[in-house]
Amino acid sequence: MAVEGGGSPMPDTDVAVLREIVAQNQVWPRMAAKYGVDNPIPPWKTSLDGLCDALDHCASDADVPDFRARREEEDALSATIYSSLPHPESQLVSLAHSLISRGVITESELIQRLSTIRARLEG
Amino acid sequence: MADHDHDHDHDRTVKPMVDEVTDFEVLEIALRELCIEKGIFTAEEHRRFTEFAEQIGPTPAARLVARSWLDPEFRALAIAEPMTASKEVGVDWLEPTGFGTPSDFTAFEILVDTPTVHHVIVCALCSCYPRPILGNSPEWYRTPNYRRRLVRYPRQVLSEFGLYLGEDIEIRVQDSNQKHRFMVMPMRPENTDGWTEDQLTEIVTRDCLIGVALPRAGVTTNVVVATRPAVHPVGE
Repeated sequence: MAVEGGGSPMPDTDVAVLREIVAQNQVWPRMAAKYGVDNPIPPWKTSLDGLCDALDHCASDADVPDFRARREEEDALSATIYSSLPHPESQLVSLAHSLISRGVITESELIQRLSTIRARLEG
Repeated sequence: MADHDHDHDHDRTVKPMVDEVTDFEVLEIALRELCIEKGIFTAEEHRRFTEFAEQIGPTPAARLVARSWLDPEFRALAIAEPMTASKEVGVDWLEPTGFGTPSDFTAFEILVDTPTVHHVIVCALCSCYPRPILGNSPEWYRTPNYRRRLVRYPRQVLSEFGLYLGEDIEIRVQDSNQKHRFMVMPMRPENTDGWTEDQLTEIVTRDCLIGVALPRAGVTTNVVVATRPAVHPVGE
């Protein structure tokens, strides 16, 4: 996969924390059916859109993918190791994978942050 | 809420919600917070982009088409100066978010259908889409399946949306890119004589503006298609 903007996420790279999230399978179609909710997309979708737009317009020194690279990596990852996920879950997890592969964030800090946020939301 | 007495049944009046914290919800927050802490973007920037994503939709484009059907002068403006016409329906392409975000766009063009030419848009490379005037792209528009096959087999792909065009109608597939966006201006359908701009706007659906459907009196919803992954999506 040719990627512009530096770095290459290597679709076969394994990110354990993301693999575990996929395995939990809390995808929106399943959750919506479980709770009888009829909105077709998860409530975090527009925030993810805002996140992607903010990344596309940022002027950071970090190895943040530009729009085209982000979408190419998303396509590659969504078609391979995250092919079991529906959209927009595949978009979200692919973005996380790209940011970790590029060193923008580390897997360990993501694990720590996931734990902190879950505790906050369930508190 | 002020005086909230309980003479009604919440079980019946409150819509159901997902009553557990999902990993995906947590992941979205985590990515966002880490990016903000690292100074990649600010919380304010994220909030504004999210508000932009929430408020955009296909209505301005639909209104532009409806007005063009009713007003020949506006139609001429839409063809000659599409960005000026867009402003008249509330969309400024040079500052689409409305808060000073530098625009990616250098050109916007409206593709006008005729009795013998039908247009349909795609982004074969990624998923470029005229978001300021059409809203967020549908899921199928992003798929490699649509992006690759539309260019090669336009009639076949359009038929999968229920749009069957005769051989006497030429199909032009317009490829978008990061600097150049398009939308389709379909022809006004039959049985709409005397309709108001609001009535006409209702039948110009998102699918009509992409070119995978034609407007019809009485049809105000998009086609629902099953999204399929490409068979050989990577590295072909």
